[in-house]
Amino acid sequence: MLEAQGIRKAYGGVVALAGVDLTVRAGSVHALLGENGAGKSTLVKVLVGAVTPDAGVLRLGGKDLTVANTADAVDKGIAVVSQELSLFPDLDVLSNLFPMREYKRGPLVDRRGMAAKARPVLDELGLDLALDAPVEHLPLDQRQLLEIARALVTDPAVLILDEPTSALHSRESERLHDVLRRLRTRDVAVVYVSHHLEDVLAVCDEVTIMRDGRVAVPSVPASTLTVDRIVQHMLGDKVAAVVEERAHSGALAVEPGQPALRLENVTVPGQLQDVDLVVPCGRVVGLAGIAGAGHRAVLDVASGVARPSRGRVVLPDGSPLKAGLRGAISQGVAIVSGDRKRFGVMLDKPIWDNIGQVSSVALRRDGMVIRAGKVRERAAEHVRRLGIKTPSVDLEVGMLSGGNQQKVVFAKWLEARPTVLLLDDPTRGIDVGAKAEIYGLFREQADNGAVQLVASSDPRELASVCDEVIVFYDGKVCARLSGRHLDAHTLLEVMNTGIAPADAA
Amino acid sequence: MSETTVSTPTPTEQPPAPRQPRNGFGRTLLAQEYLGVLIATLALVLLIGAFHPRFLQFDQLMAILNQATYIGILACGMAFLLAMRELDLSVGSVYALTALACAMLTTAGMNPWLAAVLAIVAGGLLGLFNALLIQYFGLPSIVATLATLAMFRGLTLALSDGTQVLGPPVDDPFSQVISGDVLGVPVTGIVLVVVVIVLTVVLRATPFGYRVRSIGSNPDAALFSGIPVNRVRMQAFVLSGALGGLAGVLTIGYLGAADPNTGSGYELLAIAAAVIGGTSLAGGKATIVGAALGAVLLGVVASGLAYFSVPINWNQFATGAVILGAVSLDSAVRRRRRARAGSGTHL
Repeated sequence: MLEAQGIRKAYGGVVALAGVDLTVRAGSVHALLGENGAGKSTLVKVLVGAVTPDAGVLRLGGKDLTVANTADAVDKGIAVVSQELSLFPDLDVLSNLFPMREYKRGPLVDRRGMAAKARPVLDELGLDLALDAPVEHLPLDQRQLLEIARALVTDPAVLILDEPTSALHSRESERLHDVLRRLRTRDVAVVYVSHHLEDVLAVCDEVTIMRDGRVAVPSVPASTLTVDRIVQHMLGDKVAAVVEERAHSGALAVEPGQPALRLENVTVPGQLQDVDLVVPCGRVVGLAGIAGAGHRAVLDVASGVARPSRGRVVLPDGSPLKAGLRGAISQGVAIVSGDRKRFGVMLDKPIWDNIGQVSSVALRRDGMVIRAGKVRERAAEHVRRLGIKTPSVDLEVGMLSGGNQQKVVFAKWLEARPTVLLLDDPTRGIDVGAKAEIYGLFREQADNGAVQLVASSDPRELASVCDEVIVFYDGKVCARLSGRHLDAHTLLEVMNTGIAPADAA
Repeated sequence: MSETTVSTPTPTEQPPAPRQPRNGFGRTLLAQEYLGVLIATLALVLLIGAFHPRFLQFDQLMAILNQATYIGILACGMAFLLAMRELDLSVGSVYALTALACAMLTTAGMNPWLAAVLAIVAGGLLGLFNALLIQYFGLPSIVATLATLAMFRGLTLALSDGTQVLGPPVDDPFSQVISGDVLGVPVTGIVLVVVVIVLTVVLRATPFGYRVRSIGSNPDAALFSGIPVNRVRMQAFVLSGALGGLAGVLTIGYLGAADPNTGSGYELLAIAAAVIGGTSLAGGKATIVGAALGAVLLGVVASGLAYFSVPINWNQFATGAVILGAVSLDSAVRRRRRARAGSGTHL
């Protein structure tokens, strides 16, 4: 039995865990649920020694437990399969199964001993692999199963699965669930973190739901819950806050002649399946789904980053999308990423230099000589209009707060006058006030007749900002929610089940 | 993560200054990058001159300028590459190979001016070859140009049979012009100055220059802004190669002969000159004037040592010491600047 009591963890002023208790019985599969940011991942990191809690105790089998780091956790019988793949691509299957803990015979590595241990585990998972094959060429789902095998060969007393099925197809998930049921008979305590609520209900014995760094529902039997109830608990009383009056109440139609971004029959292997999509100009359209559902792939296709194996993308002016990022950008596509430090800004350059990056530098709209004075004047105009808080356009962007940096990213795209704005989690890590201002920008651009596609991991944000949200499940569009159907609760439910509400379009 | 961290008079209330006075304040700001090397060079010249007044004579200084031309031209190309986080180790070999090509073409009876143009074009093509290796084999530039450093040098040795090849005779107008002077200023030095002016404009005011610095500052953001990163890299390597060709042509015009071993080690001196001048190895920033001044400083050190009768074999040691001094000074300044930025406002 694994127990955690009173676990607290704060990062700076942000409280990630505010006194969390968790009890996982040996021989049971325990679901740990919650929205992004509810504290699940931090709790998992505490359990495996990746994060040291500020307060609280862990007990395993009744004895106090301290884990110094993840290797120590494995030694003490706690194995984790995390959502990020952590295999060594150059090494073969067998070496990946025993990282840093090879069996030894004298000074030599005992491959035969390791193989004897690994075979039955791989068979159980249905992985028919040559042990000396390098893992870098394995498909994603097999690599994910290999991660699980790596945890299982350590014969753990506690197995923690942090969103293990995001890369798995239904057949493999089924296989995994069989394995979990078998682990139950071996008295292993399993912690199962997942966004697939149906899966959770199918395989788990008990459920703990977290919200805002606390336990909202402690260890209730899964048989007493439904997807609907779980979603309610995940959102808490915030559900009430987002149900607000909308200007329109019914489903939004698309006029036949209305200019729109169109995806025609687009397939990206493993991500999108024959998707037909019309995104009309002049509204803010959200893209939702759980990880790997295909909503982000739409952004990749529309920005030219991913090339569809079949189908095509047509821009609002009727021209087909050119291949590649640069092609798309030259046709008026803008890409605002939430990872602004990586994809958005040049931190060591002044604001004006950043704002000119697309229009003057990449697209050469100023011709073959760039007059810094001209660019600075236009940049100052954007700074004023977007309310970027800075004494001067000469300030380095690295000196600005996150929200103001993101406004600089908006400014550099607005300067290029795009017709299609692709926004990928654009308000990530931005405080509430700046978020509201950035939402205002979406609306303004939509009113100016641009296509606005917003992908976000936060259903509340999508429900409150968008006119319409397109929900993806398993590489396909499963619902278009608008009007009275568009609220965080319905959205989260549809994201997790793939089933549109009965009376929605 | 509050919007305004506490700081003295919150600038958040003021409207952004619409236009900065650009001519006093802005100019000095621009100059800052190479101010260090300029002061160091002048100080060293005066210091040597204080002990050996003859050093300060015009012809002496112009001789140093002439010597610095070759490394200086290579360093200008290197500054572009460093600014976009690339590196060209083959420039010394390109220099030798193009010098040889120019000499052989004139020996074969071609007009030396035409041969010079062809040699510069050939230099550009060698740069293109580097860029293609980097792009199509996915090699880091340091690896690709390490290979071509040896290949181009090997080609020079093979084509010349390892011996000196004579270029146009000294009384040919080509040699007369290049080894000549205007009012005592050597033509080679004038070429360096012209190159510096042109490339400074290219770096500071053309889309190409902005692209180079964008890529060096944040390669992913450059790509996601629509900057054609591969094409810009190719252009920068062609530029570096063509400048190698220009330096090679000048050495033929000045010396009248190509030694197959000429220019070995120049790649490191060119990098050193750029870095001494204030170009950051981390990318994003470069100064062409600084790169040329860095080459001049290396030249001053070398001839200064001769004035103090230090044996020539100490030359490399002194060069190394200058590089070390410049780089550690640069990093100390950057640390201080960062410390200041850290304690400043975070809007």
